[in-house]
Amino acid sequence: MSFAPDRRDALKLLAMGATAALGACGPPEEEIVPYVEMPEGLTPGVPMQFTTALPLSGYARGALVTSYEGRPTRIEGNPRHPASLGACDIFAQAEIMTLYNPDRAKAVLNEGNLSSWEDFEKALLSQMQIERGRRGSKLTILTGRVTSPTMVRQIQALLKSFPGAQWRRYEPIHDDAEISGATMAFGRPLLPIPRLDQAAVVVSLDADPLGPGPYQLAYAYAFAQKRLARKGVIQFGRLYAVESCLSLTGANSDERLALPPHLIRGFIVDIANRLGAKLPQEALGDDASRFAAAVVEDLKANPGHGVFLVGRGQPAETHALCHWINRALKAPVDYFPPVDPVASTHVDSLRGLVEDIDNGRVESLFIIGCNPAYAAPGELAVDDAIAKVPFSAYHGLYDDETAARCKWRLPLSHTLESWSDLRALDGAVSVVQPLIRPLYDTRTAHQLLALMGGMLSASSYQLVRETLQARAPRDFETHWRQWLHDGIIQGSANAPLAPPNVTLPHMDPLQAPRGPSLTFAPDPSIWDGSYANNAWLQECPKPTTKEVWGNSIHISPSDAAANDLEEGDIVTLRRGEHSLEAPVNIVQGQAAGVLGATLGYGRRRAGAIGEGLGFDAYKLMPIGTPWAAHNVALSRTGARSTILRTQRSFHLAPERREIYPTVTLQGFTEGNIDISERRGLPTLLPEWEYDSYKWAMSIDNTLCIGCNACLVACRSENNVPVVGPIEVSMGREMHWLRVDVYYRDEPTPLGFQPVPCMHCEKAPCEPVCPVEASVHDSEGLNVQVYNRCIGTRFCQSNCPYKVRRFNFFGYATDDVYANLHAQSFDAQFNPDVTVRSRGVMEKCTYCLQRISRARRTAEKENRRIAEGEIVTACQAACPTRAIIFGDLSNADGKVSQLRNEPQHYEMLGHLGTRPRTTYLAAIENPNPALREKEE
Amino acid sequence: MTKLLLAEFTRPEAMLAAARNVDQSGCRLADAFTPFPIEEMAELLDAASTSLRVYMFIGGLIFAVGAYATESLSAVYLYPFDSGGRPLYSWATFVMFPFAIGIFGAALIGFIVTMVKTGLPRLHHPLFSFEPLERATQDRFILALEPPHATSLEARARAWLIEAGAIDVTEAET
Amino acid sequence: MSASNEVPAKAERWLQPPGRSYEAINELVSAPLLKRKKWSWKFWWIAFMASLALTALMLVCISWLFTKGVGLWGVNTTNVWGFAIANYVWWIGIGNAGTLISAMLLLMRQRWRASINRFAEAMTLFAAGIAGLFPILHLGRPLYFYWLVPYPNTMALWPQWRSALIWDFWAILSYILFSILFWYSGLIPDLACVRDRAKTPGARFWFGVFALGWRGSARHWQIYHVYHTTMACLGVPLVISLHSVVGLDFAASLMPGWSETIYPPYFVVGAMYSGFTMVIALAAAVRWGFSLQALITVDHFDVMAKILLAASIIMSISYMTEWFGAWYSGEHEERSLVAYEFRGHYRALYYAMLFCNCFLPQIFWFRAARRNIALVVVVGLVINIGMWLERINIVWITLSHGYAVSMWRVFHPTYWDYLLMFSSLGLFALLYLLLCRLAPIVSMHETRRLLSQEAQQ
Repeated sequence: MSFAPDRRDALKLLAMGATAALGACGPPEEEIVPYVEMPEGLTPGVPMQFTTALPLSGYARGALVTSYEGRPTRIEGNPRHPASLGACDIFAQAEIMTLYNPDRAKAVLNEGNLSSWEDFEKALLSQMQIERGRRGSKLTILTGRVTSPTMVRQIQALLKSFPGAQWRRYEPIHDDAEISGATMAFGRPLLPIPRLDQAAVVVSLDADPLGPGPYQLAYAYAFAQKRLARKGVIQFGRLYAVESCLSLTGANSDERLALPPHLIRGFIVDIANRLGAKLPQEALGDDASRFAAAVVEDLKANPGHGVFLVGRGQPAETHALCHWINRALKAPVDYFPPVDPVASTHVDSLRGLVEDIDNGRVESLFIIGCNPAYAAPGELAVDDAIAKVPFSAYHGLYDDETAARCKWRLPLSHTLESWSDLRALDGAVSVVQPLIRPLYDTRTAHQLLALMGGMLSASSYQLVRETLQARAPRDFETHWRQWLHDGIIQGSANAPLAPPNVTLPHMDPLQAPRGPSLTFAPDPSIWDGSYANNAWLQECPKPTTKEVWGNSIHISPSDAAANDLEEGDIVTLRRGEHSLEAPVNIVQGQAAGVLGATLGYGRRRAGAIGEGLGFDAYKLMPIGTPWAAHNVALSRTGARSTILRTQRSFHLAPERREIYPTVTLQGFTEGNIDISERRGLPTLLPEWEYDSYKWAMSIDNTLCIGCNACLVACRSENNVPVVGPIEVSMGREMHWLRVDVYYRDEPTPLGFQPVPCMHCEKAPCEPVCPVEASVHDSEGLNVQVYNRCIGTRFCQSNCPYKVRRFNFFGYATDDVYANLHAQSFDAQFNPDVTVRSRGVMEKCTYCLQRISRARRTAEKENRRIAEGEIVTACQAACPTRAIIFGDLSNADGKVSQLRNEPQHYEMLGHLGTRPRTTYLAAIENPNPALREKEE
Repeated sequence: MTKLLLAEFTRPEAMLAAARNVDQSGCRLADAFTPFPIEEMAELLDAASTSLRVYMFIGGLIFAVGAYATESLSAVYLYPFDSGGRPLYSWATFVMFPFAIGIFGAALIGFIVTMVKTGLPRLHHPLFSFEPLERATQDRFILALEPPHATSLEARARAWLIEAGAIDVTEAET
Repeated sequence: MSASNEVPAKAERWLQPPGRSYEAINELVSAPLLKRKKWSWKFWWIAFMASLALTALMLVCISWLFTKGVGLWGVNTTNVWGFAIANYVWWIGIGNAGTLISAMLLLMRQRWRASINRFAEAMTLFAAGIAGLFPILHLGRPLYFYWLVPYPNTMALWPQWRSALIWDFWAILSYILFSILFWYSGLIPDLACVRDRAKTPGARFWFGVFALGWRGSARHWQIYHVYHTTMACLGVPLVISLHSVVGLDFAASLMPGWSETIYPPYFVVGAMYSGFTMVIALAAAVRWGFSLQALITVDHFDVMAKILLAASIIMSISYMTEWFGAWYSGEHEERSLVAYEFRGHYRALYYAMLFCNCFLPQIFWFRAARRNIALVVVVGLVINIGMWLERINIVWITLSHGYAVSMWRVFHPTYWDYLLMFSSLGLFALLYLLLCRLAPIVSMHETRRLLSQEAQQ
């Protein structure tokens, strides 16, 4: 049967379902331990923060969740957690949106009909009886990457009682190549984690440590430590990037070289040979070898401080060679035993499952928290395979593609609703504590596994405690409270291993592909597609293209010219019998002969938000080399579509450089910094006196890596509405804080610049407002009085920075993308921030609500607000600490000091607007050797 | 209850000529009714000068000053706030509103004073009952004269008027 | 009528026979009002129905706009201003011409204005009214437009007097009220005339009421004349200040291409320019519709065409001043803006504007062209389109190509933009057609005076 409601119908239906859920709102039954206060100290209206951990590809990122009367509204980073260090990436922050998402699976379905957990339990028990009979020989559990000690314990227990059973695990964004590369080099699987904060020279080959991923925050923080140029202190490394598609790492590099995959192989071989490996030289262009030479010189100049990184897209032997090079360089790299307990590679694991099914070796299949029917190489045809299994149960957040192929669909509790435990990349264990009682009749994976083991009424809370009991035999309760409080179990991280001897891999020569290659990468906004139904992330501009609400085939300008393609032209990509149609996006810095696609789009069953956007790149994903399909056939269809982007041109005319000036490290050290800015222009008007605090913000363009954490943070903190693709196409997105991107040096690398409101002291927006909706407060904030605004929009038309946002429609309330017409969405609003109505202007407030909260506490204790007491949402989220907020009237405050840095500048300062938000010019560290030759 | 002679002319020149030498007829010039303004006629009636402009000027001034005062008071004392770091008393930006409203004020006062001075609106007036006056708003130029009391003299006056070019002379009472 | 008061033809003739007698003038002008039976209203009804339909459409646009919000239009985060502002400036421009004609020409002793100033003033009234509508429709929350008025309120709030929008609001308001007074006071003697010509008691009563009992007394005429000329003297600075303020809406900002000292005068001329074209169109319509060839002569069109020519030259100079200023300022934003005018997304519109406003009017150097009424009207309408293009260019080009490079965006109008713009023309036409049937469309007493003055030469 096919019930196909159109988009809006669907939304309405979902809304109805969602409203039913609200009754469940409230704190979980078990006691959860607040970060700062005890729950009994709860005063209504005063939010409390709890630690927890959130998984990305199974790995934990520590989080601090703000909760109002048992209603989580805001997720920030846990400073004590090694994988977040106080910052928070976009995926973690957007979990709030997922939690309240009305599309979530809410009830047990059997063959698509409404059922109940009781019915499932009955069915399950009889099925498990059968399995027990044949010792589980036809029982298979399929999961994503599992790091939760409790879950591992449960699964292993199951496997013990069902010896014949199989545990398959498949993570769409997997690290097969890394692991097998390490095995090849060291004879055992190891997880290398480079210490970027100690590397003077970082060479990234198709690797993307700064890009999205479970360890992005930690890498970014470390990277920032080597990106510091201040009066006196200069700790500055140099980042080389050699890659096919423009990644965030490439965008932030000092020297970048775009190469197709096979030449990258040649490149690393060349490097290795220059370092003494005697490998057969492979084809490499002149530019590339010159680049290699420069890199090697640089590496030799910094012994022990150069590190090589290779990305997941490279084959195992390249990884192995990279390990060899790093050892040769005595590179600062830690090697950890993999946290992932499953030995076999992800692809093998999944392939194994499909074979088993085809050979009738699977009769009961349990799929927990992963969506292989969508997120897996197309040629495996996983979805058809799953459909063949007689007894299949899917336990997931959404009623997605996999759910559709399973007999039983079981609603999974969101991480913020469940007790569990997770491990970070380095093995550190955190307890996941729920912030809210499950909104719907959902259960955790632990409960399901317990059920399979025969435990009918297991509580995840108990299961987790049992697992962790071992870690503190004595005085468990105090430890438990401590762990919950810290959000991390101290000392649970694996100790880095002494690097074993490395063997130089045998590199069998690689022939250049004849046709163009199509490379795959996780989407910077929706990762592997699991966030496809998250409106915040869909509308989060992809850092290097500023595309929203869809994906596109990235093509180099030369290839585009060759096939005479323009942005938006729809092309057909064919590989074997699989093909897809997608619009092309011409991307500067894309290697010639390489097409780039991001995964996660083209969802067939995702929910109202995620469906019907972009194209499904998994279709063309090969099994053998999962991250690049070679020799794909490209042909234009003649059709066109518009690529929705929030910024059209990244080009800055030389005379407009003052918006985003760049300084070379050399220039900085020599003190010749030519930032063409005209400041302190004479004025006929008397100066305005600010006698109290003078709030100001300082943003370091050097440190900003363009990860968008600030953008999503702002959206979540300030109830910034989502407007949806149609409104974006009209050019009306509402981000209070945007991240502008400009070519630092055509075509690459790119420079990123977060642009909140400048809070000008001589604000152009204020005198033009006829009704004082836009006024200045005594502390120099440029505030917008929503209920006074009549919407003349003069303020925005007169704002040189164009940072104001107008509610052309009732985005926060009437618009379907705002809340899917579901009350459950309203729960996600920050109660301290007004939800703006139609026809009013709004803009960045420097998180006024946080300022006034700090002021209230300060006044209670009658003292001044201390330095660093107020942290704006964007600042809190930033992994590199590029954003600093503070009080200018405090001369030795951080902001005041940054204003004295030589590279400090006001954006468009020559207009005499006296912005309170100011910038530190981007400092880059190009390799003179490479630049000279270019001239 | 005064008696008037209404002398109709078809051409303004004729009427003016008659009006200039009206003494010869022994009548006194009371008023004139014309389809469009004739300056000389006003002089002959010595109604040339009028204080209307003074009233208008004062009226405009009051409106303008009032507006400017409202602006300054509200911006500086009643509702002061920092608007883009501009001074509270931004006199330069306070000029336009008083200017515009002032001119309107002048116009309004002018209209009112005009009405008062002309005694309009007065929808009915005794003269309306005299047929010739209907043409005064169209194409006739009518002199209103106070005739001498003696009937003989009045007859002479009528004769003189006819001579002066009046196509008809009728009696009216106000 | 007796031939006795037929005025002999003299040197300059702004009035053609059979319009050369007072009675003839009265007859010509008042016939449509009093002798409706013997008058064919076919075309009037056609026009009326058409404009009524458009007005209904406008109401639909407005009510839907109020239901849905300004998001219906093409405005976006960068181009927050759009058609509404351009339409406003365009209409207010037209709204200025009436007063300019009757006031400025009166002061300049341009006697020929007598036969056209009445409907020009009416045009002013309606156009200014419609113009005043657009800024309100433009608001995000139109129901609160009255917050621009200093009225006593419980929160003791006051308007923000530094904003050009406040100046604008008051300038328009004063101007509309002023125009009403000016127009009505000019109308009184003519209403009296119609009252006295009217046969039916109804007409006598109503025209009588609005004539305020005017008797044409020389004493009244004296005061009346003083008032009218004084009003003219006041009208000129008012109308100039009004459009200067409109110019200041842009010039008082700091955006490239807006913040220019030339704007106020340049806007005033622009207003006169587009306004005169509208007067010409209406003059032709009235002349034809009420067969007033005698009162509105070819010479009128000739002289108005000359004014257009002069205005077009001033406009062209203003444009060039803009370009020069951009280059001379040395500000790269200004320069790049001018480059954008010629090479950017709106270049087609910009070239069209230059053609309509600068090049086409040059044909009025030829007397033949000036005396070809059809041609004058057509060129006038083209100029009026050009002036609308100028306004939309001013709004779009600056906003689309401001300081924030990352926010450069193009404006794409929606059909709601177009519907509202065109339907507003319908409202204008509707009001006008109604006026034609309710009040004398040409000032009779001033025309009579003109006649007598011609006679004395």
